[in-house]
Amino acid sequence: MMTGMRLRHASPSKKAFILVMQLVMALYVFLIVYPLFNMVMSSFKPTRAIMQTPFSLPQAFDFSNYATIWVDKGFGRYFLNSLLFTAGAMVFVVLFGSMAAFGIARYTFKGSNLLYMLFLSGIMLPLKAAVIPLFQIVRSLGLMDSPFSVIFIFIAMGLPSTVFILAGFMRTIPLALEQAARIDGCSDLRIYSQIIMPVAAPSVALVVIYNAVPIWNDFFFPLVFIQSDKLKTLPVGLSSFIGQHNTKWDLLFTGLSIAIVPMLILYLFMSKYFIKGMTAGAVK
Amino acid sequence: MKRFLGMILSVCILLGLAAAPAFAQEVTEIQFWTWRPEDVDFYNKTIAAFEAANPDVKVVQNAIKNTEYNTILSAALAAGDGAPDVFMSRAYGGLQTFADSGYMLALDELMPELADFSDATRRGATSITDGKIYGVPAVSQTMLCYYNKDVYEELGLSIPKTWDEFLQNLEACKAAGYEALANGTKEGWCCEFLFGGVGPSFYGGNDFFDKVVAGETTFVDPIFVDAVQKIKDLTPYMPSMYEGVAYTDMQASFINELSAHFVGGSYEAGYFGSENPDLNFDIFAVPGEKAENPAYVSVYADMNFSIAASSKKQEAALKFLRFLATKEFGESMVNELKMVSSVPGVDVSANPFIARVLELQANNTPYLFLVGFRYEQPTGSSLFQAEAQSLMVGDKTAQEICQSVQDGIASYYAPFQK
Amino acid sequence: MAKGWKKAGWITFFVLPGALIVFVFILLPLFMSLFNSFFQWNQLIRGEFAGLENFKRLFTGYPYQQRFMNALGNNLKWFAMTMLIQNALGILLGYALSRGIAGSGFYRRVFFIPVLFSIIAVGFLWGLYLRPNGMVNSLLGALGREEWKRAWLGDGSIATYTIIIVNIWRWVGFPTLVFMTAIDNVPQECTEAAYLDGVNEWQMFSKITLPLIVPSITIITVLTIIGSLNVFEQVYTMAGLDGPPNYATDTIGTLFYRTAFGSVDSGAPEIGIGSAIAVVIYLLTFFVSLGSITFTSSKEVEL
Repeated sequence: MMTGMRLRHASPSKKAFILVMQLVMALYVFLIVYPLFNMVMSSFKPTRAIMQTPFSLPQAFDFSNYATIWVDKGFGRYFLNSLLFTAGAMVFVVLFGSMAAFGIARYTFKGSNLLYMLFLSGIMLPLKAAVIPLFQIVRSLGLMDSPFSVIFIFIAMGLPSTVFILAGFMRTIPLALEQAARIDGCSDLRIYSQIIMPVAAPSVALVVIYNAVPIWNDFFFPLVFIQSDKLKTLPVGLSSFIGQHNTKWDLLFTGLSIAIVPMLILYLFMSKYFIKGMTAGAVK
Repeated sequence: MKRFLGMILSVCILLGLAAAPAFAQEVTEIQFWTWRPEDVDFYNKTIAAFEAANPDVKVVQNAIKNTEYNTILSAALAAGDGAPDVFMSRAYGGLQTFADSGYMLALDELMPELADFSDATRRGATSITDGKIYGVPAVSQTMLCYYNKDVYEELGLSIPKTWDEFLQNLEACKAAGYEALANGTKEGWCCEFLFGGVGPSFYGGNDFFDKVVAGETTFVDPIFVDAVQKIKDLTPYMPSMYEGVAYTDMQASFINELSAHFVGGSYEAGYFGSENPDLNFDIFAVPGEKAENPAYVSVYADMNFSIAASSKKQEAALKFLRFLATKEFGESMVNELKMVSSVPGVDVSANPFIARVLELQANNTPYLFLVGFRYEQPTGSSLFQAEAQSLMVGDKTAQEICQSVQDGIASYYAPFQK
Repeated sequence: MAKGWKKAGWITFFVLPGALIVFVFILLPLFMSLFNSFFQWNQLIRGEFAGLENFKRLFTGYPYQQRFMNALGNNLKWFAMTMLIQNALGILLGYALSRGIAGSGFYRRVFFIPVLFSIIAVGFLWGLYLRPNGMVNSLLGALGREEWKRAWLGDGSIATYTIIIVNIWRWVGFPTLVFMTAIDNVPQECTEAAYLDGVNEWQMFSKITLPLIVPSITIITVLTIIGSLNVFEQVYTMAGLDGPPNYATDTIGTLFYRTAFGSVDSGAPEIGIGSAIAVVIYLLTFFVSLGSITFTSSKEVEL
């Protein structure tokens, strides 16, 4: 398998392909790293300098913006809330999502396609479109200004694409694997948790990062359903720097630089599941 | 699942019951929503002053991002509770939406002091359906031209008294290497306020406004078409590729003294001053053809304070609203936010900028599309904003865009259908 | 019979928790608001049943008809560009990464980073790069290509494409990783056998890999359909709610939002028409996705 994309022994056309791909990928890496660098550098500059000389380096690495955000603006609290909300939601997105995907992909039954489409329906319109009825539902469940309102909505937001992607992947897992386990007397629950889930690990990793990011960055639903300051999330805190006619770009960039860190860590952690050795090991 | 929710609910209720006796001294807590996250500290100070005088009322402020404010407010008001008691409300058409929906309390009888407010400021808080007042007018905004005084001094320029002088000043700034006029047209609403600053002196201010609102003339009236053409005539002095210059770029360019003029709203002054305390700027009204023509500025009421009809604490809410209608509050708006308070008789002597705005307001005229034509779809604003972008890049002529605006509004506006 | 019940029990056990949450917090409110399209509205208050009146106004009345067709045209651009550039690039990159191109371990850990950015940062930073005196034009100037300079986000003829390109910058890592994961899963026996038969790289890609990753092509295609018909955030942050200049960047997502909720800078809400637009978006997305799933699953190869 490792015979793939090596320059040595490659035909001229393959060589050209490899070189072009390397060029494209190197360029893309630059286009990723530069904005990231730009964002972090901006957090050390005053708003006026961000607007006037956006690409220059800061005069000094002054961490006062970070102190302002973390201490004066109470972002420590917001950060913790965001972590709890996102982690709480993601656990159930993955659990319920993979269960539903398993149910849909690994059983044949009437209406499985309908169920599949119904789940998928959940991302066919932005949920923002339904904010007024959603508000009434949350209120009648007694969840106003409760962390559960936002967590439930986040779970619901993550499930459709999770079910869709995982069911797609689970369908491709050879049936033989499952049948062997059944003959050994495994229950359906064990087939799900011990056979299918490990094989699906790379796609689960993909789904986690794919859904955690929008949930982590969402400011709209916490803004609607959370009013107590002690329950506010990081993106809600950030939205308070965006005024009607002016924006505090210095504090905003500081906050954004902080906000991206947990997602970077999550991605780096999850990306180890994308590395081939692990997958190959899982498929015995 | 349901049982789980039920459990949470009952725990909450129990906690609520347990907490109740602790606050037995009859303090009414009211919710106050604003769309001004940048003014949170200011309103906290205001609330502290109010609570000191009214120990029986506690006000909780909730500032929501401007662009999401209407959406969240309508969801909350539609659901009934979870809604604020007192909230900032938009003026004109924006007020109409909430007033017609029955979400606001009419204040005519509850607050007789509103009679002292000027007609122009009250207009923004008055429903056109029933003629009642639904909010305490807070501030008014004026569309005018900012200029950099240091640049004027350096180039030996003086405030223009005619359109030609204005163009000569722009030319001089351009020749000296400055960006003569900061304005760009990437966002449609920037075209509307540019026209709000430039147009009225040419279409003749209130005369035209009254006639067009009454349907006695139309937007294809030659004097109006000519006024619209004037913003197109400014394009040589605007930044290169002005069609890609965004609002924040314009602000930055004026703040950083790269450009000499900025046509925009009086609400910019506070931000200009706070970002660059050394910026030496002043304002003038864009002049008309001749020096004897009055140089008009477009004026509009910008925000009101209203009481939710669903509020169960209207008495306390009214107390707070009364406070927001006092001179004391009006003066703090002027001094701290550098905004033109709508409260009558506010002393502005401590703030020369506001005093100067009021001076220019001697020739004021309603901000045309917002005040007159933002009540139905397609609104005059949405039509003008989009069409003006085509005018500015030369895709359409002034005549063509005026015709489109006229046709669009005529699709529903009765006085145009006669 | 008992076996049938047992199976039904397991299916219920696996599917129900997720289905319940999606139903209560997404489908129920969504259908409640779609229902609003059959009513007359007086501002924010629901009036009488109006049948299909709102749909009639949307498809035949001024200005909705013009706005809707214009916006839908832009959604088509989004779909075509995303399929042709983003997903094609994704498949090539995913293939190269899976086949162990030099540096693939590093690239796997980097390509998804743009997705991690908050849309606020994406909008602001790319706004800086693309503004008239921004980095892109400076670069063109430095290369001696003055005549290529543009107001990338302000010129109506190219603004939509500019926003799409930025969106591709943001998202190309996703199809890349999906295809990479899928290609990683292709059993080694298949590829090794092919090598022994002496196939070249192109045959390997087109004859062996491609047919085996059809399920992930389905996933990416359907997500692209849904994404293209729901474009909102990107246009909202980089251009504005009104799709400036003069609706050149408007999409049915932005049209829906400002019709249903109103735009602070230009107009009042019209919930009836707004809900009708939402119904159209929903039905369009549903049936196009269903069609695409049915079509591609007929091309699937069983292992």
